[in-house]
Amino acid sequence: MVEEQATNSKIGAVLVVGGGIGGMQASLDLANAGFKVYLVEKSPAIGGVMSQLDKTFPTNDCAMCTLAPRMVECGNHINVEKLTYSEVESIDGTPGAFKVRVRKKARSVDPDKCTGCGECMESCLVRNYAYLKPLTPELLELAPDETAEIDRILSEHEGEKGALLPVLQGINAHYNWLPPAAVSKVSEALDVPLARVLRIATFYNMFSFEPRGELMVRVCLGTACYVKGGRRILEAVKRQLNIEVGGTTEDLRFSLETVSCLGCCGQSPVMTVNDDIYGYLAQDKIPDILASYT
Amino acid sequence: MVYRTNAMICTCTNCISNGALQVKDALEKEIKKQHLENDVRVVPTGASGLCVKGPILVVQPEGIFYQLLTVEAVPHLVEEHFLKGRPVKSLMYVPPGEEAPIPNIRDIPFFKNQRLIALRNRGLIDPDEIEEYIARDGYRALAKALTSMTPEKVIAEIKASGLRGRGGAGFPTGQKWEFCRASPETPKYIICNADEGDPGAFMDRSVLEADPHSVLEGMTIGAYAMGGTQGYMYVRAEYPLAIKRMKRAVEQARDYGLLGKDIFGTGFDFDLDVFQGAGAFVCGEETSLIASIEGQPPEPRMRPPFPAQSGLWGKPTNINNVETWANVPVIINWGAEWFSQIGTDTSKGTKVFSLAGNINNAGLVEVPMGITLRQIVYDIGGGIPNRKSFKAVQTGGPSGGFIPSDLLDLSVDYDRLQEAGAIMGSGGMIVVDEETCMVDMAKYFLEFTTSESCGRCNACREGLQAMYQILTNICAGQGKDDDIELLEELAPAVKDGSLCALGRTAPNPVLTTLRYFRDEYEAHIKEQRCPAGVCKALIAYSIDPEKCKGCMLCVKNCPQGAISGEKGQPQTIDQEKCIKCGACHEVCKFEAVTVR
Repeated sequence: MVEEQATNSKIGAVLVVGGGIGGMQASLDLANAGFKVYLVEKSPAIGGVMSQLDKTFPTNDCAMCTLAPRMVECGNHINVEKLTYSEVESIDGTPGAFKVRVRKKARSVDPDKCTGCGECMESCLVRNYAYLKPLTPELLELAPDETAEIDRILSEHEGEKGALLPVLQGINAHYNWLPPAAVSKVSEALDVPLARVLRIATFYNMFSFEPRGELMVRVCLGTACYVKGGRRILEAVKRQLNIEVGGTTEDLRFSLETVSCLGCCGQSPVMTVNDDIYGYLAQDKIPDILASYT
Repeated sequence: MVYRTNAMICTCTNCISNGALQVKDALEKEIKKQHLENDVRVVPTGASGLCVKGPILVVQPEGIFYQLLTVEAVPHLVEEHFLKGRPVKSLMYVPPGEEAPIPNIRDIPFFKNQRLIALRNRGLIDPDEIEEYIARDGYRALAKALTSMTPEKVIAEIKASGLRGRGGAGFPTGQKWEFCRASPETPKYIICNADEGDPGAFMDRSVLEADPHSVLEGMTIGAYAMGGTQGYMYVRAEYPLAIKRMKRAVEQARDYGLLGKDIFGTGFDFDLDVFQGAGAFVCGEETSLIASIEGQPPEPRMRPPFPAQSGLWGKPTNINNVETWANVPVIINWGAEWFSQIGTDTSKGTKVFSLAGNINNAGLVEVPMGITLRQIVYDIGGGIPNRKSFKAVQTGGPSGGFIPSDLLDLSVDYDRLQEAGAIMGSGGMIVVDEETCMVDMAKYFLEFTTSESCGRCNACREGLQAMYQILTNICAGQGKDDDIELLEELAPAVKDGSLCALGRTAPNPVLTTLRYFRDEYEAHIKEQRCPAGVCKALIAYSIDPEKCKGCMLCVKNCPQGAISGEKGQPQTIDQEKCIKCGACHEVCKFEAVTVR
C-alpha cells in the first residue's frame, strides 16, 4: 500500500460516513490497518441506534456489550478523527484523491473542556420532548380504590415466577385497557424495568394502551370466516359504527377489533359483542345486532 | 338415582352461541312440567361434533339425534318424545339433497364414518363431572401405569404405538419423552400446548371443552414416565369456556387425589396449573410458549438446546399438544399393538380435523390416518353447499397449503400431505368452493403471518412483508410480469432464514397456490381478471335483467344507494357509486346479481 501510494501519489486516508456500529467497526479496522480515518457523524455523538436494542440476532448477545468496547476504542484511537454533529456537503475528485467538504455544526460547547457530565442537559429549561416525554401527573395518579384493586391483583401473584403476564391480564380484565399509571405501578412492584413491561405488553394482541369502549365488537377473520365473507362483514360493521379496526366510537360505547379465529368455525362468519357470539352472519344482519345494544 | 333416559345437550361454545343454554333451561322446565324429572335427566355435554347444526340434543341410550333446536320447539319435543315415546321427525337430521330424516346418530354418515379415540367421550359425558369420566374408564390408565408399569415401560409402550405429535410437526412422542427422561436435571416440567392459534382450527378447544380429564390423565401419565413434578396447561385467551372447564377439572382431580401429592398412594407427586395466553400466534411455538410462561418476551430461540434439555426456567421440559395427550390414556389402556393397527405405516392412530368453510357438515371429525380427502369432504362432510363446485381444501392453517380437486384421493397422513406441499398441521381443514380466489387466500394467510411474525428474524419480518406487498399489488390489478418469479425466489429465502416454524412454513400457502393454481395468478397479472370474482379492483357487480324480479331487496340493503329501478322491474347498479361490498349479491334470492 505504501509503495503504491509513493508511485501514484494517492492519499492513504479514509472518510467513513455514519458513526453507528457499522461505521465504527469499519473505522477501527481501517485505523488498525494504518489508515488515517475521518469518521463523520450527523448526531452529536457516535454510537447510532444499536444502544436502543435489547438483544442481537441470532445469538441473543446484549447490544451494549457489542457496542460499548467499539465506542471506547473509536474514542481513543489515535488514527480516528471524529467529526460529530457534522454533515457531508459535497464530494469531488477520483478514487484515491477525494476532496470532501464537511459542515461542522455549532455545538456551543468546548469539547476539550467538556467531561460529558450531563449537568447542562438536566438544568436546561427547554426539554427535548422527542427523547424525554414526561407523563402528565393526572395520568400517573390512581384513585385510592383503584390502587387497592391493582394491589389485590398483584398480591394474587405475589412471589410467583413469571407473574408479569397474569398481572397484566388481571389489569386488562379490570379496566379493559392498560392505563399508564397501572403499568408503571406494575413495573415498580415486580421490579421489572418499564421498557421491558411495555415490550412484553405490546407483543400480545390482547392489550390496549388506549381506553376502549364498554362493548368490544370482535369480527372473526379466521380462515373459515374469511372464506365465507368475514371481510365483508367487517366492512359492514365499520360502515355501521363509522370507526376503523382498533378504533372506539366517540361515546366510548363500541370498540372494533378483528380476531383470528374464535373456534366457532361451524357457524362462520362469526363476530362477538363482549361475551355474546353471533354466527351465520350476513351484512344485512349487522345494523340490527348493533342496534340491540344501544 | 337411575334415569330412564338421558337427554345429552351439547353446550360447547358453538352451540351456546346458538342458544343451547336457553334450550337447556327450557328443556328442564318442560320436563318438570310434564312430571318426568325422575325419568329424564338433562346432561350438558361438550362438542358433539356437527357444529353447523347446533344446538344439538342426543337422546340416549336410543341415540336419537335432534338438531337446530329452538326454545319454541322444546314443549312439542318433550311431549312427543319423552311423554308419548314418538320421536319428532321434523327436528331430525336430513342429508343434503334427500328428504327422509335419519333418526339415529349411529346411522348419520357424518358420525358413522368417524373413529373416535381422542374424542372418545364427546357428547357422552358431562365435562364438569369427574365421576362421569371415571365411569367411562377414566383414570384407569393412570392407575395401570402407576401401579403395574415402570416409567421405562410406559415410554416403551408409547414408542411402540407409533404415536406422533398431533400439533402439526409429527415428531414421535415416545422419542420426545425418552429425551426428557434422559435429562439428568430436576425438576422437570410437563406442558400441554393448547394455544391453538391456527385460524380455522378448533380441535383443541373441543377436546378441552368436551373431555378435559382425558388431557389431564394423559399429562399425569407423561409426568410419571418422564419424572415431571409440575405441569402447565397453556390455553389461549380466546377460549374462555375451555379455560373454565379445565380449571374445574383440575380442582376435581385434586379433590379426588388424582393430582397433587402421593397419587394412588404410590408416592408419585404431580400438580398442574392452567396458564392463560394473551393473543400471540407465535406462542404456539414451543420455545416461545416457554418464554411466555416465564414472563419473558415470547420470541422463539435457537434450538439446540431443545426444551427436553433446557426448557422452562432452564430445566428439562416436555411439550405436547392437547390431542397427543388425549391419546395417551387410550394407548396405555388398550396397548400399543391395538393402537398401531389403526392408520398407515408411518402415521398411526387417528387425527381430529376441524372441517369448516364451504361445506355442508361443518364440524369436528376424528378419522383414522390414511382415509382419503374425498371421504372426508363428501362422505363425512356431505359435500359443498349451494350447488357450487369443490375447488380445494386447505390443511395446516397458515403453515400449510392448498390441495386441489385432482388430489382428492390423496391419503391423509403426515408424509403424503407433506409431499403435496401442505402439512398435517394441527388439524384445521378448510374447504373452499369456486367462489374463492386463490391469490386472495394466499394474501390472506400472508397478512396473518406478517402481522403475527415476532420480528426477530429479518427473513421472516421483511421477507413476508415483501411477499405480502407483491400479492396485494396483484390483487389490486397492479401485478407485474416477473412477480411470480420474484415470489418463487423470496419464498425459499424466507424459509431458510427463519429460526422457528412460523417463518419456515409461512410461504407454504403461496407456494402451493402457485403450484396448483398458477393460472389464477396469471389471469390477475396478464388479463386483469379475478376468475373467482373476489378481488375488488378487478370485478364489477351487475344485475341480470332476465332474472331480476324487481323485489327491491338489494335496493334496501345497498349502503351506497347505488341501485335504482322501479318496483317489479329489473334494477340497475350505478358503477360510479358502487363500493363492491357484495351486499346485493348476498341478499338476492334469484341469483340475479352477477360478478364479473
